[in-house]
Amino acid sequence: MTPDPFVAIGQAHNLLQKLGLELAFVDPLEENGLDGVDGLVRQLESVLAQAPEPIPTALLVARTWIDGRLAIDGRLSAVTIARFLVWQPWLDAAVNAWEDLAPIPTLPPVWLESNWLESIGPQSAPATSTPEPQHAVLTPDAVVKVAVSDAVTAAALVSAPAPVTPSVLVPAALSDQTVSVIPADSDSEMLQLFCAEAQDLLQEIEQGVLVLEGNPTDAGSIDSLFRAFHTLKGNVGIMKLNFLQQLTHELESLLDAARQGTFRLGRDAITVILGGADILKRFVAELANQINGVEPGRSIALPIPAMIASVHSLLSKGSIPVASPSVAPVPAVAAPAALLPASLPPPASLPPPASLPPPASLPPPASKASPAATPVGGAGIVRVDTLKLDGLIDLVGELVIAQSMVVQNPELTSISSAHLSRCLSQLRGITTDLQRMAMSLRMVPIRNTFQKVARLVRDLAVQQGKEIQLVLEGEDTELDRIIVEELSDPLIHMIRNSADHGIEMPDARVAAGKLRTGTITLKAYHQGGFIVIQIQDNGRGLDATRIFAKAVERGLVSADQNLDRRGIYDLIFAPGFSTTEHVTDLSGRGVGMDVVRRNIEKLRGKIEIDSRAGEGTTFTLYLPLTLAIIEGVLVGVGEERYVIPTLSVRESFRPLPGMVTTVHGRGEMVNVRGHLTPILRLGEHLHTPFNVTDPTQGIIVVVESGQDARCLFVDELIGKQEVVIKSLGDTFRNQTDFAGAAILGDGRVGLILNVNALVKLQQAKPLGDTAV
Amino acid sequence: MNTTTPRQPDTQQGVAEAKPGKYLTFRLGNESYGIPVLKVREIIRLCPITPVANMPKHVKGVINLRGKVIPLVDLRAKFGLPIAEENDRSCIVVTQIIAPRSGTRLYGVIVDGVEEVANFLGSDIEPTPDFGGSIDAQFITGMAKATDGVKMLIDLDRISAADGIAASDIL
Repeated sequence: MTPDPFVAIGQAHNLLQKLGLELAFVDPLEENGLDGVDGLVRQLESVLAQAPEPIPTALLVARTWIDGRLAIDGRLSAVTIARFLVWQPWLDAAVNAWEDLAPIPTLPPVWLESNWLESIGPQSAPATSTPEPQHAVLTPDAVVKVAVSDAVTAAALVSAPAPVTPSVLVPAALSDQTVSVIPADSDSEMLQLFCAEAQDLLQEIEQGVLVLEGNPTDAGSIDSLFRAFHTLKGNVGIMKLNFLQQLTHELESLLDAARQGTFRLGRDAITVILGGADILKRFVAELANQINGVEPGRSIALPIPAMIASVHSLLSKGSIPVASPSVAPVPAVAAPAALLPASLPPPASLPPPASLPPPASLPPPASKASPAATPVGGAGIVRVDTLKLDGLIDLVGELVIAQSMVVQNPELTSISSAHLSRCLSQLRGITTDLQRMAMSLRMVPIRNTFQKVARLVRDLAVQQGKEIQLVLEGEDTELDRIIVEELSDPLIHMIRNSADHGIEMPDARVAAGKLRTGTITLKAYHQGGFIVIQIQDNGRGLDATRIFAKAVERGLVSADQNLDRRGIYDLIFAPGFSTTEHVTDLSGRGVGMDVVRRNIEKLRGKIEIDSRAGEGTTFTLYLPLTLAIIEGVLVGVGEERYVIPTLSVRESFRPLPGMVTTVHGRGEMVNVRGHLTPILRLGEHLHTPFNVTDPTQGIIVVVESGQDARCLFVDELIGKQEVVIKSLGDTFRNQTDFAGAAILGDGRVGLILNVNALVKLQQAKPLGDTAV
Repeated sequence: MNTTTPRQPDTQQGVAEAKPGKYLTFRLGNESYGIPVLKVREIIRLCPITPVANMPKHVKGVINLRGKVIPLVDLRAKFGLPIAEENDRSCIVVTQIIAPRSGTRLYGVIVDGVEEVANFLGSDIEPTPDFGGSIDAQFITGMAKATDGVKMLIDLDRISAADGIAASDIL
């Protein structure tokens, strides 16, 4: 096949899919509702110009329909929608047939008769997607769809729901198939596009599957899964990844059967779908690596034959007659290993396959409503290089600074002109809006990370035989892209901890008088300029005595040390701490929580624990909204001003005489609520001239890092300010006093203190513990 | 921390590394120096400097270049020249250097006065003479003979690469 038709077919598939979506969502009364369909048909016309007959005729037919409506009112009437709902699957089948070099179905002759259409009511079944010809026959080793001629004639569809033929599986052995990852003669840009799109689709598939697990009959999810696999199949076809084409095709058939109601999705089917998605994921990840230059040309082994075999066996044994009205209430999320009762809605609510005449048998528009429940992402989204995005955000940051320098310019402020001040305040308003908009470009919802967790909890529950329900809240909360990426690992670690250590075995829970099913709640919300992420389980809670004993055993604390509950909980963040007697492959190696804390602190966030024995544990993460901006307390030392991140500031005050004591060998200490906390004179430490030496004339800022605190002594407190963080660069890479720089309102550079390093300074000196 | 010692041997092989081409020449005290003009991004007036504590003496601090924070060095301190008062000819040459880790970035240099852009031919440039083990020599890539004296051609990439290392050495 020459490359030309190949590309055309791929584009046609995409366009047809878009058309399907357009039709599913279109409102017959909407003005200009026709435009979208018109545009897609136009594109189809140009893409399919070379297609064999009768495809061009079909396009011509569509054109007359559209022109007819355009001549009247430009609205897409219900009748026209009905026409396209038949036309679109037909064209899809025709394009498929063309792709497979099979005979192309003939045009339904009625289309050429002008009065045919008026007799058709709204159709719904094929509305949301691009169905295959229903009676596609699976041949064992290839993806040959035999489009039966006249594929859309209703008679065939209604009379023969064509249970998917359990094809005979022949691959000699089910050993992994070794495939070379980068297809020959491919260009890297295409591959990158393919990768990006495949990753999105796989994500969509995973989400869909998890919804299905809770509700195996959710038509919307089945449809979206089917669509995703269908698109994937098209894409791997374009990339000539034939070995994947068969796999995607088989999975698509499985879902198609589920869509048609000839197969019910049980837990085993869901596991197979997830397994198939995992294979694709592994392939795509490997492909992405190789594109980026990691061992290009390496081949990997994928269990494709085994997976195809399991799809086949599922289809052959799970193929059930449509009438099996076993409706059972479905447990919420991630039920235990016990199989979900596979259920189907009563046959009445099943959307029967599309039918043409007789118009009397109008199917209920069930599937038409369902897509709304699963919003299709990607609408109107532009992919932008992150470098460009960061460049834009930098420029906007500079604009904001320049703006404030203009507005605060003393020469300008001395002019008393109402007109000028109006202009200036308008300028300020626009720059602020622009900055907010630019910042929001970096923000992405935390949804994807939460979805990963949902999958994890499901797997953990199955593996350990626990019953765990995951409740997600606030998935739409938006965070800086980098934070979301960096957050994923710590979050997964903490969830593992909750599932592994927190939630008890079902029997133990019942014995403790709790519900069999444990609950892990994952929440994200805004609070006071920060994003709060909370992981809450209702498991056994932390055992303070056991933690303390373990910490003593590991030499982390001495046995006579007197710690309060919070202090003991904090010990689990110490490097090398773990209380589990046996190490599972999930958690318990003791390399966990200290890394979690380090990662969170790297994001300028902090982490808190609360726990009640027997009732559960709550981890609370406080994270900045974005990494680009930090809210800081501005302090002055002599002529210099420094920024202290607000999140690290516990309190600030002017000490009264007598609060500061000099402890021999330990330097100055100040009594903060009963704790003697060492003082660091910032001016002396930074070798900068300072004005105030008497502690009672200056200001003490208590900063904390983890459970350690330190009092920074500064001349004055200037205020609170949001600043844009700038890196100090290589020149200053070996200094630890400053975490970065910021441009202040007067255009000078203010340095941001690295509180973690300043607090840890004390540990180098013989200052000992802070709690006395 | 001595793993990234500048490529000293090259300069002491007696081969001039500096390539012929256009150089911006400037004064530091009584001496004249030159840097490749392609490295120069712009020349600005002196502006308020924010000092950064615990850095080598020649690293004066950071400045705000239209919203970018860039480091500022005083080459007189680096080369052990007497510290001169700043005058109205003093200015900052903003250069674009290649850093070992972060790639291209901006680097400000205080100079006592900018002279001119001179075109040095290959025959004008001579290898750095042996200054008798003076550490300055490692940053000098050649000596250019001009009508009004000799210009020392320096390599700012190496100077900046040494900044971070020196910082840890003094601590």
